[in-house]
Amino acid sequence: MAASESASASVPSPSATASRVPASQRSAPSDGAASAPLLDPDFLHKLEQLELVSRKIFVGRMKGERKSRRRGSSVEFAEHRNYTVGDDLRHIDWNVYGRLDKLFLKLFLEEEDLHVYTLLDTSLSMNFGTPTKLHYSKQVAAALAFIGLVNHDRVIMDTFATKLDQGIPSVRGRSQMWRVIDYLAHLAASGESDLKAAAREFAIRHAGKGVVVVISDFMDKHGYEDALRYLLARKMDIYVLHVLSQEEVQPELVGDLRLVDVEDEEVAEITMSAPLLKRYKDNLNTFVGGLKEWCTRRGITYIFTTNQYPFEKLILNYLRERGLVK
Amino acid sequence: MFWNLWNRLGSIGAPLELSSPLGAARWFVLAGVPVGIIALYFLKLKRRPVTVSSTLLWRKSLEDLHVNSLFQRLRRNLLLFLQLLAVALAMLALAGLRSKGTGGQGQRYVLMIDNSASMAATDVPPSRLENAKEKAKKVVTSMDSNDLAMVISFGETARVVSNYTGDKRALLQRIDSIPPTQSTTSLREALQVAAGLANPSKQIGEGVVATSALITPKLLIYTDGGFADVEGFSLGNLEPEVVVIGPPPRPYSPPAAEASGPTDAKAKVHNPSDNVAIVALQARINDEQPDVYQLFGRVHNFRSERVETEAQLFRHAADKPGSEGQLIDAIALQLPPQSEQSFKFDIPDSGLAELEVRLTVKDALEVDNRAFAIVGNARKAQVLAITAGNRYLLDAFNTPTASNKADVRVATPEEAKGEELSREIRGGRFDLVIYDGVRPETPPEANALYFGSLPPGPAYANPKAVEQPVILDWSISHPLMQYIRDLSLVFVAKANLVEPPAGATSLIESNQGPLAFTVPREGFTDAVVLFPLLDGTTPNTTWFRFISFPLFLLNSMQALGNVREGSGEEVRSPGRPVILRAETLGKDLLVTSASGHATERLARTPQGSFVYNQAATTGLYHARWEPSGLLPFAVNLFDFRESDLAPRGLVPDGVPESQAEAYKIKIGYNPVVGTQQTEDKQQDWWKWFACAALVVLLVEWYIYNKRVYI
Repeated sequence: MAASESASASVPSPSATASRVPASQRSAPSDGAASAPLLDPDFLHKLEQLELVSRKIFVGRMKGERKSRRRGSSVEFAEHRNYTVGDDLRHIDWNVYGRLDKLFLKLFLEEEDLHVYTLLDTSLSMNFGTPTKLHYSKQVAAALAFIGLVNHDRVIMDTFATKLDQGIPSVRGRSQMWRVIDYLAHLAASGESDLKAAAREFAIRHAGKGVVVVISDFMDKHGYEDALRYLLARKMDIYVLHVLSQEEVQPELVGDLRLVDVEDEEVAEITMSAPLLKRYKDNLNTFVGGLKEWCTRRGITYIFTTNQYPFEKLILNYLRERGLVK
Repeated sequence: MFWNLWNRLGSIGAPLELSSPLGAARWFVLAGVPVGIIALYFLKLKRRPVTVSSTLLWRKSLEDLHVNSLFQRLRRNLLLFLQLLAVALAMLALAGLRSKGTGGQGQRYVLMIDNSASMAATDVPPSRLENAKEKAKKVVTSMDSNDLAMVISFGETARVVSNYTGDKRALLQRIDSIPPTQSTTSLREALQVAAGLANPSKQIGEGVVATSALITPKLLIYTDGGFADVEGFSLGNLEPEVVVIGPPPRPYSPPAAEASGPTDAKAKVHNPSDNVAIVALQARINDEQPDVYQLFGRVHNFRSERVETEAQLFRHAADKPGSEGQLIDAIALQLPPQSEQSFKFDIPDSGLAELEVRLTVKDALEVDNRAFAIVGNARKAQVLAITAGNRYLLDAFNTPTASNKADVRVATPEEAKGEELSREIRGGRFDLVIYDGVRPETPPEANALYFGSLPPGPAYANPKAVEQPVILDWSISHPLMQYIRDLSLVFVAKANLVEPPAGATSLIESNQGPLAFTVPREGFTDAVVLFPLLDGTTPNTTWFRFISFPLFLLNSMQALGNVREGSGEEVRSPGRPVILRAETLGKDLLVTSASGHATERLARTPQGSFVYNQAATTGLYHARWEPSGLLPFAVNLFDFRESDLAPRGLVPDGVPESQAEAYKIKIGYNPVVGTQQTEDKQQDWWKWFACAALVVLLVEWYIYNKRVYI
């Protein structure tokens, strides 16, 4: 299956990712990064060349630029079938009737639009890193939305922290890009992340099928499995974009510290030492590897990235390799 | 392990004692260490708060490291616990906690510290005694916990300063408390005390019993060697080691050509020392001018260089004890190196005079630069002669010399039995009672001289009458027999001989037995002449014709009558008891010390005299009694060995083997070589290690908290 193939492609390990990013590309302080425009014009131009691809063909409400499995009223012939009473007489293939004296209906492939859902984590934990994971995620989300809009796909953008927030209900067409940018620009991190509740709400709210891209750090103490199962139940084409900050991959903490969880203010008192650091990295690898394996087994495409990896590259190269972008 | 140790300590059941060498101030500082660690621990708890995106992975890591949170907490506290434990153990180590008991086989030390006059010398600053104390204290400090030490100070007498104990602090304090004295040195007595206490099977004080004969006590004698060799003394199991205090001896130089012969080797042992001393002072009446006293003295220069000094004569007033005195005369002295010179002052007789001679020279020993003398303090013997009118006897009392020396009262036997006189005899009124052919019923409270009669008592029960005993021999060394030479010519007709009782000293021997002897009686002396002077009214002997008879009487009055010359004083040394014979019938008298600060009331002894034990320093002392009696007496050092500050017992470098013996001090039967320094054995290093451990612990804390990564 295409999904498993793409997901099984090499995912950079957290440490490998970190080492692969040149120091020069480790970007500027977070406030500077946060105030920078989400998308620059050059990048937008490149994005136009891309087209969002879907490995599955979904039924949309509007006739879009994609062929649908549903037989419909497009110009592309699909097949014939026997006429039954009540069929539209306009679709009878009269040439066949002339040759065979039997009534056949001409079926055409329905062209329908694609639903691109973006589920963006805006919990407080995303507000970390330089640039922040949220800023990085916003850039990715904006790029994906732009590609979707350019290709006349239906773009739906939801954010979640403690609960699901309906961001942009459904926009279509390139002209709506300003709305997306504006929405993302004003998005701020707040609250504790509850991925499960958000996914449940999302599954209830969006009955339609389509592509869903979940952008999160998955630092949810309740786990991610239940949440992703809700999405799987909707038979959506799921992409998991796991964003971690460099500080999480390669902590540079020293001394006796009282670590405070920014979300639930839980405290962990640690004394930094080489064994503890090693243990932390092992845990991180286990966590990332576990998520990847869980996704791969269920046909979810897992993509790992850090805030140090240039998001243009992620969009133009990495997501293309993974099959999210044509 | 700790509890195990604690249980073991508890199971001993013995009381615990501390023997910490640290003082209270140092303990106070030490007590701050655990407080500091706890404070640091609280500082450590104040961790730097850091906000992170999620503690999910950290918490997981911590959980992986420490199976559960309880252990994690324990472990966190374990650091503090361990460190406090380490500090507590270190402090316990420093406290020297231990259970009381006989314990292991420690070394035993007997520390004998010489505090005689010469040890006050300042040639090794601050003084020899302080040096000796310091060296003794070093030994105490280096003692193990099982070791015991005894401290004895010795001068004229030995004093046990501390019995065997392992309590270092008490030992150090007691060593510090040893005072300097001005007495002479008697090592023999100190050795007797040490041998008595140190040799085993003796229960001694402070709960410590020296039970084991297996441990050989180490005898350390801190002295400058100013004493005679102690020969013929068994030290038992003591191992003597003499630590000589004083400047090191000069290197040996071979005797010069003119000084030859083996006797010179001994003389050469006397090394020079920084001292000039008055070694003798005596007053006597000038034979030619009876109203002038002559004060003779001798000054010895122990230095190797010529000394010019002045002998100053001071007169002290009896009513101002301890005062400076009034300068009345001075003589310039020039003393060649290591030589002696005499001086003489003429003092007109003006009654009782208290005199002091002072040397102006500055040297290492102060005490022998002053000497004291009393002149014009004559005392006559109080003599009672009980005789039926013996003309020969009475004539002998009438010589000018005899009447100068004694007040003789003559009484008949009847008078002597009378109430008044017998009370005076019993009350100690007389110094000497002479019984001429009369036997008293009870012995008198005085010395007695019997002619032809026997003292009362069962020892003289069976006299044997003999006729014409021939005098063969007589003791010429006895004080009663001084200058008596012509007894061989004396004829004796009859005598009543008895066997002299035990303890008697024979004075005159005849062919039939002793004719005269002296015998002690409860502090008094009885002199018994066994032949009567008269046989009825005719002489029984020809002794009256010879000069020896009045001489014998004179000697008796002098020796038995407690005569004081008035010109001379017997030498009284500091530290020795002073026996005073005051012309008082009272039961007590008051003695003022040389400084005038201390006054002591003395009670009469059964012998009628008074004994003063507090004459610790040289100077002029005064005994007073009601109504206006005054008896001054002088106490002087006059000890050549004490004044000779050259330390003895050290063999100088380069001395030939054959002559080295002369330099050694002989204790017991073996010569002992002195050392200047006691060997530093078994230093207690653990204390330093314990302190270092404390420092390391603190440094570790510093690094831990400052996070100094290496």
